[in-house]
Amino acid sequence: MSEKKILIIDDDQHLLLGLTARLKANGYAVVCATDAVSAVAVARKEVPDLVILDLGLPAGDGFLVLERLRGLTDLVATPVIVLSARDPADNEKRAMDAGAVAFFQKPPDNHEFLTAVRQALGETIALSTFLKT
Amino acid sequence: MIDESGSIELPPESLADLLDFDAWGEILATYGRTMRVAVALTDVEGRLLGKCHNAQPVWNLLHDAAPGRGTGCPFCITTHVPCTAVLEAFQAGGVVMVRDLAGLIHVAVPLFLGKLHLGAIIAGQVFDRYPEPLPLRRVANEVGVSAQQLWDVARKQRPVSRAVLQTSGDLLCALGQAFLQQRYGLILESRLAETNGRFRLLVEGVRDYALFIVDPTGCVTSWNSGAERMLGYVEAEIVGRNFSCIFTPEDIQNRVPEKQLHKALQAGRLEDEGWRVRQNRRQFWAHVNITTLMEGTGPFRGFAIIMQDVTERRKIAIVLEEARQERARLQENFLSHVSHELCTPLTAIYFFTTNVLDGLLGDLTPEQREHLASALDNVKQLKDMVSDLLDITRVETHKITVEPQHASPVKLVADAFSTCRTNATAKNISLRSDVAPGLPFVWADPARVRQILTNLIDNAIKFTPESGTITVEGRLMAEDGFLCLSVSDAGCGISPENREIVFDRLAQVKSGAEVSRSGLGLGLFISKELVSRHGGRIWVESQLGHGSTFYFTLPVFSLAKLCAHVFTAPNLEGGSVTLIAVDVIAVEGAVQEDILPELRRVLDGCINPDQDVLLPSMSDAEPAETFFIVACTGLSGFEAIASRIGRELRTFDNDSKLKPEISSTMLLVEPHKPRDEQIAEVAARIERLVQAHLLGKENLK
Repeated sequence: MSEKKILIIDDDQHLLLGLTARLKANGYAVVCATDAVSAVAVARKEVPDLVILDLGLPAGDGFLVLERLRGLTDLVATPVIVLSARDPADNEKRAMDAGAVAFFQKPPDNHEFLTAVRQALGETIALSTFLKT
Repeated sequence: MIDESGSIELPPESLADLLDFDAWGEILATYGRTMRVAVALTDVEGRLLGKCHNAQPVWNLLHDAAPGRGTGCPFCITTHVPCTAVLEAFQAGGVVMVRDLAGLIHVAVPLFLGKLHLGAIIAGQVFDRYPEPLPLRRVANEVGVSAQQLWDVARKQRPVSRAVLQTSGDLLCALGQAFLQQRYGLILESRLAETNGRFRLLVEGVRDYALFIVDPTGCVTSWNSGAERMLGYVEAEIVGRNFSCIFTPEDIQNRVPEKQLHKALQAGRLEDEGWRVRQNRRQFWAHVNITTLMEGTGPFRGFAIIMQDVTERRKIAIVLEEARQERARLQENFLSHVSHELCTPLTAIYFFTTNVLDGLLGDLTPEQREHLASALDNVKQLKDMVSDLLDITRVETHKITVEPQHASPVKLVADAFSTCRTNATAKNISLRSDVAPGLPFVWADPARVRQILTNLIDNAIKFTPESGTITVEGRLMAEDGFLCLSVSDAGCGISPENREIVFDRLAQVKSGAEVSRSGLGLGLFISKELVSRHGGRIWVESQLGHGSTFYFTLPVFSLAKLCAHVFTAPNLEGGSVTLIAVDVIAVEGAVQEDILPELRRVLDGCINPDQDVLLPSMSDAEPAETFFIVACTGLSGFEAIASRIGRELRTFDNDSKLKPEISSTMLLVEPHKPRDEQIAEVAARIERLVQAHLLGKENLK
């Protein structure tokens, strides 16, 4: 089975560098986008298995990207984890309602974050994993 | 104005006025003429006030011959013994007849109001019969007139018999008291008129306040110039009208005027602010005081209403509040911007540090590892500060949320300990929990309580020397319905002046050198906010050098309170309450924890919030896949809820891997008990049933 592909959408080059290293070390392929417009284009081209999305982006808000991704037939079931510096009190519910599977405030705990990534990647149809087998 | 003890509230000048001898003159003169006696007014000691009316010729003669003789009594012309008639009359409380050494008699009639002795009337004749030669000669001798002269005068006197004098005394007594009362009434009246006039001047003079009086039905009976100025109506056009005409149409429709008078009557007074309407229909914001008018225990006469136009003040208050909110909003924006901007580089540092530390870029020497671990510690501290900053902005903009649930104090403390253990272990400090397992559950947000406890424990760790002990205790408060948790350390303690400020924002107590870093000093401020959002309070007790104990209280969980909004009279009319237990079971394996909140939302949609309550998780053990519903409904209502739950759950879980097992118990509500007792009893029975259900399930496992 080929490597799962993760798209990180974030405008901070340092974060991209650090997180990419972490994800690659865990056996994932990583592609990046740094603004809202190119993010959708990259997603359409690369068809990732998981998207890690920042909310504050140049050229458009993360919520807008989330909405556009949900509108792409290839990506309608692709899980999205939001990783943002914004206050979860204001944004977590909104992100979950818009279809994200998890919300992390920066900086996330590595262990928790990777657990969420693994869960999201094993979970393309929402209800199938409600039962522990 | 004569109170029960009989004392009289009158100033001295009014007392003197009561015995004004000019006023008494006419009645005494008429009386003397009619009854053919001499009569005079005296003070309480028997000294003559004014002149003697209808004085007898003998007395005139004697008086002219020796003015100023005797003890003041016009009838005591033999002077060997002072006349004690008046004193005796007061002692006897009525008419007294006295006879002096010369065998001459007269009567004294006391005048009193309540217990107050005012004076007396004395009446009589100098001789009560035709003079006998011997006493006559003695008197003449004594006074210094010739016996013949005295005889000539005395002979012309018409004698009054003893019996007549006695009767005349009784009559005089009644007459005197009646006249006194009348005079007293007159004085009171004039004083009242004077006060009323003064009050009226005062009321009229108050121009910045509307002052008016309404009768018990709300009709205006008096109206001052301030009211005229403020409300536009002149006295003549508003007196007799109901005061509801100064209320807004909505208020009138909602019967606010009547309700206000009713409330004022019950409480004795009422204070209120609201819109009122002038005659020209313009509205203004009024501050209103309503006071009931009662005279002692007398009848209720109406209401005095004082009104002030505070429209300007309100405008200013609104502007100030808006400015405050704007400032808070700007501050929030600023702080959330700052924390956002801090998070971004912090995240990069975190990733790089952990990447290197976890060996993603190759092996490390022990020293490199140690340095990087320190760097990571500092990143975590920075992260905590940023999250404190965010909490502060939430406090200021009232965004901080508390979602209380049914929570076990034992578990809350255990959770906090697991968070703080790393820090404690680093200083070899032991954490001791002294929370009895039997304590009732609290109604609190577990995440917030953990935040409070963690804050307090981390602080305690900071101030406790190595190898010390920190104790968390839990006990019920004496005040009803609260549980108190406390965190005690054996650190340096807090001085009294600092005890006042530790809960303030950005407070940082300067203390021993061993404390290297104390964060932003926001922890206690946030804790205080969180505790108060729970309805509890927080305080500290401390002695310098002997450590500190921080206490905070949380409300005890009360099923009766939680269900209060459905335990209403119409809902309980059916005479029963049903407890529904929904055990959600998985067809294979166990129910996943993450789905429990979703399930709760589904079940919440199956009940009628006006009649039913979905109880919070009642189990201390997790996961709690049992849900309880308290339903104020009969059997048919239960069936409706059960079928709705079945349907909704199938829609939610289309693979049908989850199955509800629904059971119910109906509790009868005792019809003849007071409602509070009923509710408390039903709530206690529900709690017992819930615990029994959970225990049964536990045993089954």
